[in-house]
Amino acid sequence: MSFVSVADVTKRFGSRVGVDGVTFCVEEGENVALFGANGAGKTTLIRILASLSRPTNGTVEVDGVPLDGANPSVRSKIGLVSHDSMLYDSMTALENLRLHSRLHGVKESVCEERLRSVGLEDWGGERVGRFSHGMRKRLSLARALLHDPNLLLLDEPFSGLDQESLEKAVSVLSGFEDRSVVVATHDLERGARLVDRALFLDDGILVDDVRVDGDRNVREIYRTVSAGKTR
Amino acid sequence: MRDYLRAVAAVARKDLVLELRDKRNVSSTLVFALLIVVVFAFVFGQEGDSGTVARGALWIAVVFAGTVGVTRAITTEGENRAVEGLMLAPVDRSALYLGKVVSATVFVTVVGWLSLVFVAVFLDHAFGSTVVAVAGVVPLGALGFCAVGVLLAFVTLESPLQESVLPVLLVPLVIPVILAGVELSLNPGDGDWLRLLVIYNGLVLVAGWATFDYVVEE
Repeated sequence: MSFVSVADVTKRFGSRVGVDGVTFCVEEGENVALFGANGAGKTTLIRILASLSRPTNGTVEVDGVPLDGANPSVRSKIGLVSHDSMLYDSMTALENLRLHSRLHGVKESVCEERLRSVGLEDWGGERVGRFSHGMRKRLSLARALLHDPNLLLLDEPFSGLDQESLEKAVSVLSGFEDRSVVVATHDLERGARLVDRALFLDDGILVDDVRVDGDRNVREIYRTVSAGKTR
Repeated sequence: MRDYLRAVAAVARKDLVLELRDKRNVSSTLVFALLIVVVFAFVFGQEGDSGTVARGALWIAVVFAGTVGVTRAITTEGENRAVEGLMLAPVDRSALYLGKVVSATVFVTVVGWLSLVFVAVFLDHAFGSTVVAVAGVVPLGALGFCAVGVLLAFVTLESPLQESVLPVLLVPLVIPVILAGVELSLNPGDGDWLRLLVIYNGLVLVAGWATFDYVVEE
């Protein structure tokens, strides 16, 4: 059984369709990239997978459990890094992580460990309002990993990062072997290096699903996307 | 159940820590309440029944200052979409609602109690032997007020007009709280008004608890 199962998911915002009849599965430990132009539906799909958005039609299951609000405990298997940091500026980095550790029932000692893993161990006592964009992103990653989720959802994780933050984020993400990752990104080259599979969205429709391996390298995928066409 | 209560406590604690740290909200709300009482003292200081004026000033201060307080408390959740971080917690989302209601109720209660002091000082009316009972009515009124206020504040969170729309929606819905609060400030032992307030609080809390997930989910 697939770890994530998305079946015929449609999301409408009034008359506009964000995602249209998307169906795909993600196996346990598989890393999948969502590629597509602005407005293709990547963020909408990530938000649905994170249970922040309810699909108009279709179902999403994580580890066999529907994401319909009736089973909130399934959210302990999901971690999300979004465009927004989801952090409180007036609280310190450690206070933010401790809040989320309480919400997820995780020991507070894990917070320092996660801060270390993203290279922010010296910034735990600083208020997040003073953090740069890259530091917020790294802290956001630490927040998402706090409860050791089996499914990590990343929405544009590389945007606006300086070289140091970028290297740190990529090294943390490259270390995942036992969990599934779904990453929505414009950074095709970096994104494709992290994943096993690439899904292409166009106007909310899933137009292609390709395996990223030696036969089909990053440049070829890039050309496919640039040309705006499928295989 | 333990996880649920832990989430309620975590959200309430976080809000109260933020309120104590960023004192702008507390201070501006208290100044607002103080101004209301002072204006009442200027207008009605020499005339009218001091008890009636005091009750009016107390509950207007609670409602106006409470509206400002609830709005600002929820605004912090919109910054960086922090509320979505809370929504990812593996507990029923009504726990977030109850946590916000607890912290907002504590906030409005403190404002109400300090308004009692302002009324005693500036309107020269200390509610006599009923002052403790009146002080007990304040948290009850604050609970009903915040149960509605928090839900509406989340409904209007994405609206650029939140600060003007919220009072328009909120005040008509909390009229039972205002009526019961004013009447119980005169006669705290009035069982009918007390029952009305308790039943109203129960109804709005259950409504908020049951609908919050739909309010915050896209």
